[in-house]
Amino acid sequence: MHIPHSYVPKDSAGKLAKGFLRNPLTPILGIFLLAIGYMALMLMPREENPQMVVSGSTVIIALPGATAAEVENVIVKPLERKLKEVKGIEHIYGMAMDNVAVLNAAFFIGEAKEDSNLKIYDKIMQNMSILPKGAMQPIIKPLDIDVDIPIVSVAFYSNNPDMDPTLLYDHVKEIQHHINGLPNVAVTDIKGAKKHQYNVLVDMNRLSGYNLSLGQIVQATQSLAYNVPEIKGKTKENEIVMIGVRNAIESIEDVGNIIVAQYGGSAIYLRDVATISAGSDIQNFKSALVSVKDETGKFSPLKDQITLTVSKLQGTNAVIIADAVKEELAKYKEQMKSEGISYVITRNDGERANEAVNELVFHLLLSIVIIAILLVFVLGWRESLIVTFTVPAILAITLFIAYLTGQTINRITLFAFLLSLGLLVDAAIIVIENIHRHLHAPSEHDRDFDELMVEATDEIGAPTNIATLAIILTMVPMAFVGQMMGQFMKPIPANVPVALVASLFVAYIFTPYLAVRLLKKPDHHGDKH
Amino acid sequence: MYKKFENYLLGILNHPSKKRVVLLGTLIAFILAVGLIPTKIVLAKMLPGKNNDTYNIYIDLPNGSSIEQTRRVSECVVGILQHEHEALDTEVFLGAGSPLDFAGLIKGSNFKNAENVSEVVINLTKKHHREEPSYMMVQRLRPVVLKECGNIYPQTNIKFIEPPAGPPTMAAVVAEVYGSNAEGIRHLSNRIEGVFKKTEGLVDIDVMQDEIYDKFEVRVNTDKISKSALNVKQVNDILYLAFEGMGVAVKNSQNATDQIPIFLTLTPEGKKFDARTQSAIELKLSGLKLMNQMGMMVPITEVVDIVPVKSNPMIMSKDLHQMANVLAETDMVSQVYPLMDARNTIINTFGDEYEITKTGLFNLELSDKKTKQMYALKWDGEMKVTLDTFVDLGGAFIAALILIFLLMVVYYKSFILSGIVLLGSFLSIIGVIFGHWIMDMFTADTFFLTATSLIGFIALIGISSRNSLLLIDFTKSLMVDKGMHKKEAIAYATATRAKPIFLTAAAIILASTLLASDAVFGGLGVSLIFGTIAAVIASLIVVPVLLDNSELERHFNFHERKAVSIMEP
Repeated sequence: MHIPHSYVPKDSAGKLAKGFLRNPLTPILGIFLLAIGYMALMLMPREENPQMVVSGSTVIIALPGATAAEVENVIVKPLERKLKEVKGIEHIYGMAMDNVAVLNAAFFIGEAKEDSNLKIYDKIMQNMSILPKGAMQPIIKPLDIDVDIPIVSVAFYSNNPDMDPTLLYDHVKEIQHHINGLPNVAVTDIKGAKKHQYNVLVDMNRLSGYNLSLGQIVQATQSLAYNVPEIKGKTKENEIVMIGVRNAIESIEDVGNIIVAQYGGSAIYLRDVATISAGSDIQNFKSALVSVKDETGKFSPLKDQITLTVSKLQGTNAVIIADAVKEELAKYKEQMKSEGISYVITRNDGERANEAVNELVFHLLLSIVIIAILLVFVLGWRESLIVTFTVPAILAITLFIAYLTGQTINRITLFAFLLSLGLLVDAAIIVIENIHRHLHAPSEHDRDFDELMVEATDEIGAPTNIATLAIILTMVPMAFVGQMMGQFMKPIPANVPVALVASLFVAYIFTPYLAVRLLKKPDHHGDKH
Repeated sequence: MYKKFENYLLGILNHPSKKRVVLLGTLIAFILAVGLIPTKIVLAKMLPGKNNDTYNIYIDLPNGSSIEQTRRVSECVVGILQHEHEALDTEVFLGAGSPLDFAGLIKGSNFKNAENVSEVVINLTKKHHREEPSYMMVQRLRPVVLKECGNIYPQTNIKFIEPPAGPPTMAAVVAEVYGSNAEGIRHLSNRIEGVFKKTEGLVDIDVMQDEIYDKFEVRVNTDKISKSALNVKQVNDILYLAFEGMGVAVKNSQNATDQIPIFLTLTPEGKKFDARTQSAIELKLSGLKLMNQMGMMVPITEVVDIVPVKSNPMIMSKDLHQMANVLAETDMVSQVYPLMDARNTIINTFGDEYEITKTGLFNLELSDKKTKQMYALKWDGEMKVTLDTFVDLGGAFIAALILIFLLMVVYYKSFILSGIVLLGSFLSIIGVIFGHWIMDMFTADTFFLTATSLIGFIALIGISSRNSLLLIDFTKSLMVDKGMHKKEAIAYATATRAKPIFLTAAAIILASTLLASDAVFGGLGVSLIFGTIAAVIASLIVVPVLLDNSELERHFNFHERKAVSIMEP
């Protein structure tokens, strides 16, 4: 069997083919590649859109009592000039309103988030001295695209319109804590909350009837609602004696029993001049409503709801987290139902990402099958089988490298794969076609099979290398496209070249290896080419 | 079959007149294709609309509107949405933004905190089970919603916000009006708003500036206040306490989830003014009394005057220059063309007040004829992102061309051969443009030339240069190793290489058909499909002709040895 190879390969293509053609490790390498690819596909975090590095900070400074023009002159303009000193800022937006100044620094896309946040914080803190008298402590809110954008939102609503809204809030708050405890959940937030509050609604007519001022009522309430820590004393024997001062206000009745004034020995209680209730925060104008389609396809009227939002940590798998949240919610479903609370999931980016990814993976497989069928007709089923095998191997290598470089599977990554699919079968097609041509050439009929494989591979090595390099070169400048679009498209220049390089190696190593075992020399002196 | 093609090709190569026909035809197709770009037959857009399972509706009432008024408009909008069969649920967030999303991040949804704003979220059935794409639904609902709910209160602004297909922008069209005079900026931006409203294709028009509304100011009479032994803080506190309310104390609770504030204010009935007039306010305030240091009760109206004033609008600045934004969305059309229309209208009609000069690519500079004040109009939003992206991708394209050229020069050590490879690959643009034109004719809505089309085009240069490369390489080996004649070698090489070229082209076309059905990457798919077809034709017919016209012998460092017929290779 082992006839010494007389053909000496000139190109790396032939050398690779020769080296792996009779190597027992070749099939093991193939299985290993497929395994790591599958592993990467399962392990990589899935997202709908690729991750973008968007940095920016918002600075809010209150200056009570100042008009918009004053705020503009004393806060916005000086601070804008100071922010201009920071490197990497693309735009500075200033908003001066009555009483408050808002400054927004947007960094160039791709500037590191932590550095940018620190730069703004540093610059504002350095310049605290230029803030006018009476200005409040600046609030600096960094923009965090991962943490700020929730991946799941759930609307909780009560089926009983008379239910106390604060009760709903209590329930949601409890669930929030459990969900926040799930792995990789970053921030949970509640929208539309109605918080507990004791409302003292003073009747103006009765107030003037008793000849009282609002100020007196405030003072009387404050004097009783005072909390102190426990008092620590010691006995003669140096034992500690703890004295706890009970709060004067323990319940809503206590509030009503506050004495606001005395008139000729008779006390005027707070309940005499005001309606007192334990309710929710009436001054909060924000609220959330929901309307859900029931089984009959009719929409319910708008009901008060509380929305719980969940966001994930950067680089974690939205699909897994969303499923975990769903599972956690299901645990409370029955209990809440008995109390008349229902919920509806109003956003599930995990599911959306999974659907998008699965659909594209399906498209990818479908495309491979279509190409395989095409090749069956043109080259024959054995040749088609060989080319079809190379595709998963190439994609496996690409996926694994993407996994190692910390990328996620998202729409654009998969589009990069779809785009490269048409390109990466080329190397294998060219190799197999040349092998096919050599096999069917009458002049080559008497040559050694192995030698023929190596020569056929080697022959097209140089132009295929250069051609693949040419395609890679077209992708390289795309990596330098700036702005959001560049960031958005980044998976294409990041993955297509990798897939192309992988396609060369796979074509040179596995195509001849499989061809030697699957293809046969035609018996007849073929005349078709 | 390959024999036939070989003979056909040889036929062309042997007749200079036929060669000229091929080259001329290519040139005409190329000029036609490139000529299509500036016309409106093939429309350019950064990214087309995407079919979503959800979208938002932003409702903005004029500043100074109450939450009850906002709620009424929101309920009206929800009422219309509830008639939709494909809707699953809808949420309203009054006075605040909905849970943040990609679009909201750029549009400032997370900073919403006022009584005059609300956001409506609608969730639809899964896009695979839905016939109508979300963008069509938005287009259909927009006029209905505006008609029913937009006129309940004047100056109400209702915007439909769809999750963007690519990176989010502030709006499709953003006109930034810069100037140093707030009044002048307001006047100019209102005029631009008027132009936008009349421009076809622009919807959801909004001027990003506070409306000026009537309000009342309580002015403390310092004379009287010191005579009554009171102070200004007392006056402020009492007014705030009475009408806004204040948490005066807190109660720690073991049962509740938070500290419980004790909140003090007037009864809702006691708070309501009879009307929005000065006298009604004075009447109400006279009931409020302050206790002075001597323990005497002084009605608040004794120490203050109430004056009607105008509100102070917000002052916006960008990069240290005062400005205002005029926003508009596009109604399923590219933003480029309505923007150009609006710009032309501005240039043609604003001459009555302003001296207009053009700056940059599309920007304008306006100087007031009377006051000589300068204003600048700059375009931002999706337009700017589109321009930047197309410029960047164009740069990437040129860089790719140069890199490939250099690679070819290194490989062939000949400028002519490298030029032929490059020219051959550049011809794929014919397929790209015509492909978009054909797709546009066959699809219901506009098929745009997008950023992804450009990416496809860039990838195509690589693909088609590979075809030419394999061809030249094979021709070279035929001529050098087998000593064939130039014309015969070219024809034989082309015919032999036609099979793998066809095969790889078919692979690309088949792999791209699924891309073409996607909203965002449709452009990429169409570019690849039609570009590849053009590339195949170019490399099988045009490149051989070009090769024949060049002095291949010299480029291959080849000296003709003997004539061998192709019949015996």
